[in-house]
Amino acid sequence: MTAEPPTVPIRPVAGQPAEPAPVPAETPALSSPEPPTVPIEAVTGDSAAVTLPPATRPCPACGQPVFADENYCQACRAPMTEEAAAEPAAGAVVGGTPVDAAAWRQSGAVCGTCGSGPIDADGYCEACGTKAPSGRDHEETDLLVLAGVSDRGLRHFRNEDAMALGATQAAGGPVAVAVVCDGVSSSGRPDEASLAAARAALGVLLAAAEDGQDLAEASTRAAHEAQQAVKVLAGPPGSTPPSEAPSATFVSAVVTATGVTVCWLGDSRAYWLDESAPAQLTTDDSVAAALVTAGIMSEEEALASPNAHVVTGWLGADDSGTAPHVCTFQPPGPGVVMVCSDGLWNYQPDAAGLAERALPAARTSPLAAARELVEFANDSGGHDNITVVLVPFPPAGPLPAGPHDVTRELTP
Amino acid sequence: MSDLGFTVEVFQNEFLPAGGSDVNAIVTVTSPDSGQPQQPTGAGAAEIIIIDCSGSMGAPQSKIVEARAATSAAIDAIRDGVAFAIIAGTERARPVFPADGRLAQAGGASRAEAKRAVADLRPGGGTAIGQWLRLAGQMFGSFPSELRHAILLTDGKDEHETPADLDAAIRASEGMFSCDCRGVGTDWVVSELRKVSTALLGTVDIVPDPSGLAADFAAMMAKAMGKQLADVSLRVWTPQRASVRFVKQVAPTVEDLTSRRGPAGPQAGDYPTGAWGGAESRDYHVCVQVTPGTVGQEMLAARVSLVVGADVLGQGLVRAVWTDDEALSTRINSQVAHYTGQAELAQAIQDGLEARKRGDEDAATARLGRAVALAAQSGNEDTAKLLAKVVDVVDAASGTVRLKRTVDDADEMALDTRSTKTVRTRK
Ligand SMILES: [Zn+2]
Ligand SMILES: [Zn+2]
Repeated sequence: MTAEPPTVPIRPVAGQPAEPAPVPAETPALSSPEPPTVPIEAVTGDSAAVTLPPATRPCPACGQPVFADENYCQACRAPMTEEAAAEPAAGAVVGGTPVDAAAWRQSGAVCGTCGSGPIDADGYCEACGTKAPSGRDHEETDLLVLAGVSDRGLRHFRNEDAMALGATQAAGGPVAVAVVCDGVSSSGRPDEASLAAARAALGVLLAAAEDGQDLAEASTRAAHEAQQAVKVLAGPPGSTPPSEAPSATFVSAVVTATGVTVCWLGDSRAYWLDESAPAQLTTDDSVAAALVTAGIMSEEEALASPNAHVVTGWLGADDSGTAPHVCTFQPPGPGVVMVCSDGLWNYQPDAAGLAERALPAARTSPLAAARELVEFANDSGGHDNITVVLVPFPPAGPLPAGPHDVTRELTP
Repeated sequence: MSDLGFTVEVFQNEFLPAGGSDVNAIVTVTSPDSGQPQQPTGAGAAEIIIIDCSGSMGAPQSKIVEARAATSAAIDAIRDGVAFAIIAGTERARPVFPADGRLAQAGGASRAEAKRAVADLRPGGGTAIGQWLRLAGQMFGSFPSELRHAILLTDGKDEHETPADLDAAIRASEGMFSCDCRGVGTDWVVSELRKVSTALLGTVDIVPDPSGLAADFAAMMAKAMGKQLADVSLRVWTPQRASVRFVKQVAPTVEDLTSRRGPAGPQAGDYPTGAWGGAESRDYHVCVQVTPGTVGQEMLAARVSLVVGADVLGQGLVRAVWTDDEALSTRINSQVAHYTGQAELAQAIQDGLEARKRGDEDAATARLGRAVALAAQSGNEDTAKLLAKVVDVVDAASGTVRLKRTVDDADEMALDTRSTKTVRTRK
């Protein structure tokens, strides 16, 4: 440990954080289309080192650090947006500030692929036609009590994962709520399904926590509301063929000072992460999990089998017939609850491995740790959308005053 | 069309495999329904009817008799206020009405006078279609109007000028006016009239029996009177390092527009579509070759818009998304498949008839057999019926056919002229 301010950024930022001079676009570490790799030791050794250098804030489109005096991202060229005033329920934050075509135009930033074209009203480069990063390609939300990052990954053209985060003050202390949904790619409008589901569930869970309701019962109800929200997308009965019915997986975690209530349907997961007894709190509704449970294959074999990722439980108008599962968990001591989509755990399924990657940073800097995990998944191939939400246990204040997104306020 | 909002719908499978570069889309363009009776556009519209008065029009006499009647019927269908004229065509071209070679404004008196002049038309002389087009061009040029349309009737081969003369006259007329062409009887040449109608963004058809002329002319003129917006272009923007492989109109008929591209600024080209009426719908097949992106990348492969001058009336986006999900990238869009088949059908008919004329019976049988199979598959019943007059169909599904020993000339020409007609399919 050192008393000096940290000088090691969490990812290789070219240039000196102390002198935030504009970085030329041709600097290899920033112009590379691949996210820069980071040795994991850099973040595990010293918790102070994971603090983002004060002179940068993350790009709202790709998550790379951008110096405070720059108005666009050197990596993807996305414009830095002003904080948008969203009006979610008190304490609830859904995603970050989207970078839309208007933001690109306003900023005058040019395409990150060809480096020459302005971005047109439809969000495409006027020169090379490449779609500019936007909307949900990369989202970060930090409520201090908990934080999450959702990313398109490298192989999918859009982010069909969604996260909804909230925190509130209940009688027994602060309560953190995290919901992650993963749109089922083979269904229609999976990106809309996941977002609708996550938002609907968050509202139910926050209200239940504030009112001191039974959280297991509230979680089932939240999953039901999420199911209804997805059904609405399909329109009136008969208007969407079953194969096109929007659908999504579901996992929620309500973390109070005394315990964790987890609810899920599908293969998005919740984990308990600590140094002594990390554990997976959910059991997938998937072909792979069924094969393992039946003793037909080992977990490793099952995950490698062709239908491993076929889910057997989901939210949607084409009801999977599987009811949401609820479990409550009393942590043995301080640790971190992680809620994530399979885009992360595909590369590191076991709890101990995840704990090793996430801790100790996740205890004190959940946003930085979530970014690291997303980056790990992208470095491993990024074959799927990746969403990671980290909730340090026990939840500790200060709570954000209201609808709030501190990822845009990292400047000192 | 007070509201110029055209709807542009794009039907495509945007997903390409890694390394894939060809992006296909069917673009359906529909003009707005004006929703009210046609307003006279006055000086906005001009019509010229060109009547073949060569000697052969008198044999049989019914040809010139019916042509006069048909022209009168067409004159009756011209809206009040529209500028119009009648041209008599032989080896030269002569203004019949008004005789001074200008345009008259349609009204009760001018229509009656025009019909009296038409009644005096007598057959005699040769055929030089290029001369007719040149006079029409001059007359349209003498009068400022936006919608310029001609109807051209002939019964014979263009034999009193060289093919180069005709080609030059067609080139000079392009963009000046549009022209619907009709051949009466069976002594005219389909390829000659098709050259005119294609370049001048009109239709071509056979009227085998002169008695059918009047109804056909009246219908053609009514349709022309429904046009409200002239000189509409399909503008195709493509990204850098991309090229347009082809742009074809595929409904209601197949017309390859690829070579008609005109400049429209950086990375864009304009393809002429002519004049549009209200609630009119046409389909275009656009194929663009792009530089492959990486898996997970999305690119705008083409922006397709309808433009008149500097005004954009509507637009649609053709996208390319690279994926390693084969279930997505191997899907063929049903519209693209359907119209690819319809374009092949038209080509197979034209190839087959060409081979038949050359006396290459094997090629004719193979190509017309393919056409029979395609027509059956796609439910193009009109074309299937026309084909059945030229070949004996043994098995439509497999395209097994025998050439008929004797084929009525009119049936063969009808198949030729109507080979480009397509059917639509469920969206
Ligand atoms: Zn960026
Ligand atoms: Zn570009």
